[in-house]
Amino acid sequence: MQIYLPIAALSVNLFFLVGIGAAVGFLSGLFGVGGGFLLTPLLIFSGVPPSVAVASVTGQVAAASTSGALSYWRRGGIDFHLALYLILSSLIGVLGGVATFSALRAAGQLDLVISVGYLLVLGAVGIIMMNEAVRAMLKRRAGVLPEKLASQHNWMHGLPLRIRFKRSKLYISVLPVLAIGVVIGFLGSLLGIGGGFIVVPALVYLLRVPGSVVVGTTLLQMVAMMAATIILQSVQSQSVDILLAFCLMVGGTIGAQFGASAGQYLRGEQLRFLLAALVLAVAARFGLSLVLPPTDPFSMTVIGPGGPL
Amino acid sequence: MIRRFVLAALILLTPVAIVRAEGLVSTVSNPNVAITSSFDGETLSLFGNVEPDEGRSPVSGPYDVIIVVTGPSVDRVVRRKSNVLGLWVNTEQVEFNPFPTYYQVLASNPLEKITDHKTLVAERILPEVQAQISAVPQSLHVERFGAELVRLMTDRGLFGINDLAVRFLSPTAYAAQLTLPGDISNGLFISQTYLFKHGKLLAKRGDSFMVNKTGFERFLFASAHGQPLLYGVVCALLAVATGWLGGVIFRR
Repeated sequence: MQIYLPIAALSVNLFFLVGIGAAVGFLSGLFGVGGGFLLTPLLIFSGVPPSVAVASVTGQVAAASTSGALSYWRRGGIDFHLALYLILSSLIGVLGGVATFSALRAAGQLDLVISVGYLLVLGAVGIIMMNEAVRAMLKRRAGVLPEKLASQHNWMHGLPLRIRFKRSKLYISVLPVLAIGVVIGFLGSLLGIGGGFIVVPALVYLLRVPGSVVVGTTLLQMVAMMAATIILQSVQSQSVDILLAFCLMVGGTIGAQFGASAGQYLRGEQLRFLLAALVLAVAARFGLSLVLPPTDPFSMTVIGPGGPL
Repeated sequence: MIRRFVLAALILLTPVAIVRAEGLVSTVSNPNVAITSSFDGETLSLFGNVEPDEGRSPVSGPYDVIIVVTGPSVDRVVRRKSNVLGLWVNTEQVEFNPFPTYYQVLASNPLEKITDHKTLVAERILPEVQAQISAVPQSLHVERFGAELVRLMTDRGLFGINDLAVRFLSPTAYAAQLTLPGDISNGLFISQTYLFKHGKLLAKRGDSFMVNKTGFERFLFASAHGQPLLYGVVCALLAVATGWLGGVIFRR
C-alpha cells in the first residue's frame, strides 16, 4: 500500500516504512539505543532527501526515548537534577545545530557534512566500543577499568562550579555536564541522532554517573532535546514530515518491545560487540560514499521556501 | 509568484493574437486533479479539434500537434561533485529560477519531422530551452548544467518527450493521454497546444488544470509551511504521545 508523504513529496510503501521502523526499533530495544543513527542512513539510502530524513527521524527518536524514559521513571531510575542541566545545555546545542543545518543546506554542503559527521562520530564510537567489548570478552573480570576511571576523575575534580547531584550521589563541576549537553545537542540535531550511545559512555566514564540512573537520565534528556529539535526544524527548515515520522514511530515502538526481550538472552559485552560492529558498518558505508566516485556527479535540489523539498 | 501568474496569463492569452486559416479547440479531461493519500499517479486526456476560422473554407490536413504540459515553477539548483583531496564534494552550482517542476512534450510525430529546430527553439518547445532561459547568468556552464538538469528531471519522470502520445481520431480531431507521476507538485499546470502543417505553425492554444493535494495531505503540507511553529509542536506532542502509549501498552 502506497502512502504519499506530503513534505518529502514522495510515494512510499507504508509497510516498508513501518518495517524499517520496526527493524530499527528491534535493534534499539536490543541494544538500548535510540536507533536514529541507523534509521537516518536507511532512509537516505532508500531515497528520502537527507534533510527530510534527518528532521523526521528526530520524531522517531523522541517517541522511542519517551517509552524508555517512562519505564525508567517507574523504577526511579532518573536523576531529574542532572537531567535538567543536560537538557538546558543541549537546547543551546540544538539551536546551533539547527542553524548550521539550514546554512549548510542553503550552501549545498549538507549531504557532505552529514556523511563526514556520521563517518567520524560512528567511526570513533564504534572503535572505542569494539575495543572495550573485545577486552571485556577476553577477560570477563576486567581489572582494567577502575584505573582508567581514576585518572579521569582527578582531572574533573579540578574544575570550578561544583554542584551536588543527590540522586547520582555526585559532587562534581557543572562544566563537563554542560559541555556534554551542548555537544550532544549540536550533533543530535545536525545528524538526526539521539546520541544515547555517546552520552551514556560520557556520563559513565567522565562523570562516573552510577549505572542505575545513567540510562534513564539520558533518555529523559533525549526526549526534551528531540522534541525541541522537531519544533525548531519545523520552523527553520520545514522539513519534518509528520506522516513519515509517525510511520517510523509506530514501527519503532512495536519493534523495540521484541528487541528488549531478545536482549535478555545476550550478555552485555556480546551486545556491545554486535552494536559496535553495526555502528562501524554504517560508518564504513558513509566512508565509501565519500571516497568512491558517485554514479552521478550531478544533483539537483529545490531552493527557497514553498517548493517540495 | 506574481511574475509566474503574469507569465501564465500571457501564455493563456496568446491564441487571441494569432489569426490563421485554422483555429484550434482543445480541453483537458480533468481540470482538477486531486492528490490523496493513495495517490500514485493519474491519467489525464487532452483532446481537441482543428476548426476553420469564420468565413474560411473547410480545413484539410495532414496536421501535426504538439502539446507542451508545464507544471508550476520553483527555484532549482544543480550541483556538480568533484574530487577534492580524495573526497567527493559539491563544488560547482548553477541556479535556475524559476524552473518548471514538470514538463512533458506530447507529439503526433517525432519533433524534428513536425518542424525545424529553429521553430522548436523559438516556440520554447524543447525542454533544454526552458533550462537556458531560466538559468541565472552567472556561470559559463549554463548549457552543460541545463542539459544535466533536464536529464535529472527526465530520470525522475517529471520531464519527457513522447512523440507517439498524440493520436488523430479523424483528420481533424486528436487526443492524447498524459500520466502524471506520484511525486508531482501541486499548483497550476498549463497545456499549450501547437498546430502544425507542413512544418508551419498554424495555431496555438493554452489550457490549464490544477493539481491539488487534497484532504489530509494538503492540510499537512499547508500547515507545515503556513503554521510551522504549531506544526512542530504537534509533531513533538505526537512523538511523545506515541512513545508514552507504546510504553503503557507494552509496559517494558
